[in-house]
Order: sequence, then structure tokens, then C-alpha cells
Amino acid sequence: MLEGILTGFNTAIMPTNLWMVFLGCFVGTFIGMLPGLGPISAIALMIPITYGLEPASGIILMAGVYYGAIFGASTSSILINAPGCSATVVTAFDGYPLASQGFAGKALAIAAYSSFTGGTIAAIFLLVAAPALAKVSLSFQSADYFALMVLGLSAVAAFSGRGQVVKAMLMTVFGLMLSTVGTDRATGVERFTFGSIDLLDGISFLLLAMATFALAEALMAVLKGEHRETDDTDMSKLGSMKLSKEEVKEIAPTVGRSSVLGFLIGVLPGAGGTIAAFLAYGVDRNLAKAKDKLKFGSGSLRGLAAPESANNAASSGSFVPLLTLGIPGSGTTAIMLGALISYGIQPGPRLFVDNPEVFWSVIISMYIGNIVLLILNLPLIPYISRLLIIPRPILIPMILLFSITGVYLVSFNSMDIIIMAGVCLLAIVLRLLTFPMAPLLLGFILGGMMEDNLRRALLINDDSLSFLWERPITLTIMIITVLVLIAPLFQATLKRIFKIEKDGTGLPID
Amino acid sequence: MTLNKERIGALFFLVLSIAYGYFGSEIKLHPGDEYEAMTARTVPYFLALLGIGLSFFLLVTGKSHDEAETSEQREWKPVALLIGLTLVYGLSLDWLGFLLSTILFLLGGFYILGERRWMVNLSVSIIFVSIFWYSLTQLLEIYLAPGRLFAGLFG
Repeated sequence: MLEGILTGFNTAIMPTNLWMVFLGCFVGTFIGMLPGLGPISAIALMIPITYGLEPASGIILMAGVYYGAIFGASTSSILINAPGCSATVVTAFDGYPLASQGFAGKALAIAAYSSFTGGTIAAIFLLVAAPALAKVSLSFQSADYFALMVLGLSAVAAFSGRGQVVKAMLMTVFGLMLSTVGTDRATGVERFTFGSIDLLDGISFLLLAMATFALAEALMAVLKGEHRETDDTDMSKLGSMKLSKEEVKEIAPTVGRSSVLGFLIGVLPGAGGTIAAFLAYGVDRNLAKAKDKLKFGSGSLRGLAAPESANNAASSGSFVPLLTLGIPGSGTTAIMLGALISYGIQPGPRLFVDNPEVFWSVIISMYIGNIVLLILNLPLIPYISRLLIIPRPILIPMILLFSITGVYLVSFNSMDIIIMAGVCLLAIVLRLLTFPMAPLLLGFILGGMMEDNLRRALLINDDSLSFLWERPITLTIMIITVLVLIAPLFQATLKRIFKIEKDGTGLPID
Repeated sequence: MTLNKERIGALFFLVLSIAYGYFGSEIKLHPGDEYEAMTARTVPYFLALLGIGLSFFLLVTGKSHDEAETSEQREWKPVALLIGLTLVYGLSLDWLGFLLSTILFLLGGFYILGERRWMVNLSVSIIFVSIFWYSLTQLLEIYLAPGRLFAGLFG
């Protein structure tokens, strides 16, 4: 393992890769600060650039963008009460009150320190957990992979919140349907191509990701009239960024607790940073003394530290299933998986054996990413936020242009732009009908692999589905899947346990 | 039964799943496939059934009323124009070439979103696109075909 860490370290500190971490964090922070554009869009916009890079550098860049985007989203949560993504909604509960009381600098510093600690603790866990899990998963067979993917897809739907479960399942099925378009890999038969040559290779993953996220999110901002708004927040008056000893003492246990909790939740497929942040906030409020409890929601330092540590730890945690099993647990890791596959790298247990430099350098660069965020991004916040002064009518067409050319400059097929416009329109309508988009992407990316693994499992097992209950590992995973699917039925009970429904926060748990 | 957001969505997916299942039955099979456990049609059939089942379930159990709508105005006009602009951009790329059509795309985008300072718009789009074009063609050595219109006129 030490050898692996050293390989990873050597790869990660190569000047190109260090530059990628820095660039990723910076660009990610900027995009994350724009309300409406989340980490998935930020990563999608970066993918075309990564095509020209070594796979390790590419994924390092994307990981940097991921952290940067979450950090940027926290910044806009704190400063303008406009969460850049769902994982930082909770950050605004206490972060914005703090900023309005004149402690913006302190709130940003706490967010940065908590994120840093959360990320560090999670990176250490990842360092231990990922190789161990990768070794175990080497004994996995097609049947187990098929079951795991079913679990991953079910979990995403099950954790999507009250009233959204069926919709998320429908979107997953829609994604799976889209993945069957093109030539069937096993039999060579054309499916749903309607005679079009453009569809023979299937729908491009990049096109789908750009159209449903980057392009659609930018246009959603226009639809909501956000292009008229300008940010006139005066960043020069952030206030002191220093924390007193008492304050550090107050938040330290919270940060520790929330980091561990966040990591564990991040590892679970389907439950990402958003759930981790809500849970950590709820847990910490329940643990607080009666006097401190009242502060939650009106500028509690602990209330800010808890979700910030948790969401960052969860984003590192979500790399565990991606790197060891090749199964993404969230929309963001799904898009990274899509990119990795297009570099010709298949994440999963073989990644650890075949491309150890990719495996380890990602883990090490996560750590470097956290340091970059702390020592470079925090002081740079006033300057990065100055970029937000660019008028939205200028900024939004540029984002549209980057999304479009990102697809065009890979395929050089102008037909793709027209397809993108259509897909984007459909995505906007579905968003307005409150259908979640991430499950679509997840279903699309896992669809092909699921079919391959099912086919292989059937082949090994003499065309019988009995492997689902005869192989102990497969059976265990299938039982967990069933439990996950019936879990929403018991949501009310779970809520009572965590007591984080509507009281005080004004927002429901989901 | 009134139509609301959830039911419109459910109906959309119901129609989609039925159409998907129908076209799935048109997938060609190899001779002898009838003895196989899994053919190219297996997964599409299963997905179509799952889609029909889920959308039907949503149609029946969905909320009967939308939750109180937020009073925010939806600005469809600029969105429709921007999507139109994207279509025009896609069509014009082959004819006008990357440089010119991209400049026009940005100018159009700025105008649609209400930016009327022409000097700003012109300079931002020309400078930005020129740098973008230069870095693509000269630094990254990506070949961008010249517009057919100019190739036809001068080439």
C-alpha cells in the first residue's frame, strides 16, 4: 500500500497535475458560485478539456472542480443566501445569518476550515477503505455487479426524497432506455436507431450531460429571470477571517463527528452530500444543549460547521464505490465515470491493479485539493467573487457557448448542436414538472454495463436467473436493494428518530 | 381527475414507454434467437414494462393538486429565443465557419438577454471568440473547417 501511496504521490505532484488541481479548484469555485449551476454542470463543462489530457490528470482536474464547486456553492450560500447546489442548502441556514450580522469573513473561514477537516478525515478513510474494498471486490462476478448496479440505481431513487421516489425511478428507467439506443454490443443488432447513422454509436454521453445539466441549468436561470439580477454584495467588507480559541473549541467536536458521519453516508450509493449535510445538521442540533439549540438557524457556528464538514466528507466518500466497484453513487460521480470510460479506463477493482497511478493519484490529489482550497481559495474569495460582477447577460451566453462547443469540438458534427437544443428543451420541461435529472444520467451510464453483466451472468449460469438467490454475495446485495426500496415507506419513523423535520429550519428534511 | 404537473409527467412517460415497447418489438432478431434466454429485445421489453408500470402507478397515486405555485414569473420568451439561436448556430456553423457564426451567436445571446451596449457586445464577442479560435486552431492545432459559403466564393 505504501508503494501505491508513493506512486500516487509522485503522479499527483507532477507540475501538470498540481496545476490541474489548482485550475480545477479555481474554475470550480467560480462556477459553483453562480446560483443554479451545480457541480455536475461544472464537471460537464470541463470534460472536453480533459480529453486532451492523461487520464490521471483528467480525473484530478475533475475532482478539483468538484471540490471547488461545492466550496463555491457554500460561498454563495453564505454571502447571498443563494445556495449554488443542493448540498449547500443547509449551509445557508446559519451561514447567511452570520454574514448578515457582519461576520461574513468568519463564516467563510469556518466553512473553509470545516470543509478542509471533513475532506482530510475522509481522504484518510478513503486511503484505508478503498484498497481494502477493491481487494474484496476482485472476487465479485458479473452476477454481483449486476446486483450492485440494481442496488445503486434503486438507492438513488429511494433517497431522492418524499414524493420524488417514483419520479426518480421513472427518470432512471428513461436513462436506461436511452442507453439501449444504438448498436447492441452483444448481438450487433441495431436498436432504436430509426435508420439514422448518427445514432448507430448510441447517444453521446457528453451531449446528454451537457444538454440536461450545463445548458439546461443556464437556461433555467434565464427562465427564472435570474439574468436580470446583479450581485452588488460588497466583498471588500467581509470582516475578519480569524477564529478565537473558544470558537475553535466549540466547533471542533462537531467537525469531527460530522466528518465521520458525512464519509459514511457518502459511501452509501445514492446518498450524497445533500443528505449528509441535512443529517449532520440535525444530529448536531439534537446533541446541543438547550441554550445552544436556540442559536441554530440564527447564526450558530456549529450549525455552519456541521453541514460543511459533512458535505465535503461525503463527496470524498462517494469516490469509494466509484473507484472500487466502478459504480457511481451520485450524479457527480456518474459523470466522472462517464468521462473515465471515454478515456478507456474502466473503474472498478481492476483499476487498482491495472492503473494504480490513476487510483492513487486521485486519492492523493483530493488531499492536495483540500489544501489548495484552504490556502489559495479562501484568500482569493474576494477576487473570485468579483468575477460575479460580469453582467449576467454577458455571462450566460458564454456558458451556453461553452456547453455547445464542448460537444461540437469533440464530434465536429453540427447535427449534435441541433439534437442538444431538443434534449435541452425536454430537460427544461421535465425540470419544471419536478422530475429529477441526476437519475437519468445514472441510468444512462449504468445501462450498458448492466445489460452486459446480466448477459454474462446468464451465460455462466445456464440461462437461469437462479444466481440472484443462489450466490450468497448476490443474494445479500439483492436483500439490501429490497430494503432500500421499502425504506421510503418507513420515512416517517426515520424522521421521528432524527427529529429534523420542519421545526425551526423551515425546510423539510428532503 | 384533474391534470397537474405529476400527471402530465406520468402521461408523458406512459406514452413514451408504450412507444418504446412498440419500437422494441421491431428490433431484428438473429435466426435461432428464439431459443436464447436473452436477446437484443429482452432488456427493452423489460424496461418498457417497468416504465408503463411506474408511470401508471404515478398517474393513479400522484398528488391530485399541485402545491401552492410560487408566484414567480416564468420568462419563456428569452429561453425560446436562446434555443432558437442555438438551432441557428448549429445550422450556420457549416456555412459561415466557426469564427463568424460564433461571434454572431454571442451577439445574439447578449441582445436576447437585454444587453444593448453595442460597443461592449461587439468588443467582448470579437475579442473573446478570436482568442478562443486562436487557442483552438493555433495552440491546440484543431482543424476547424472554413465555412462552405466562403470556401465556395473564394476557394
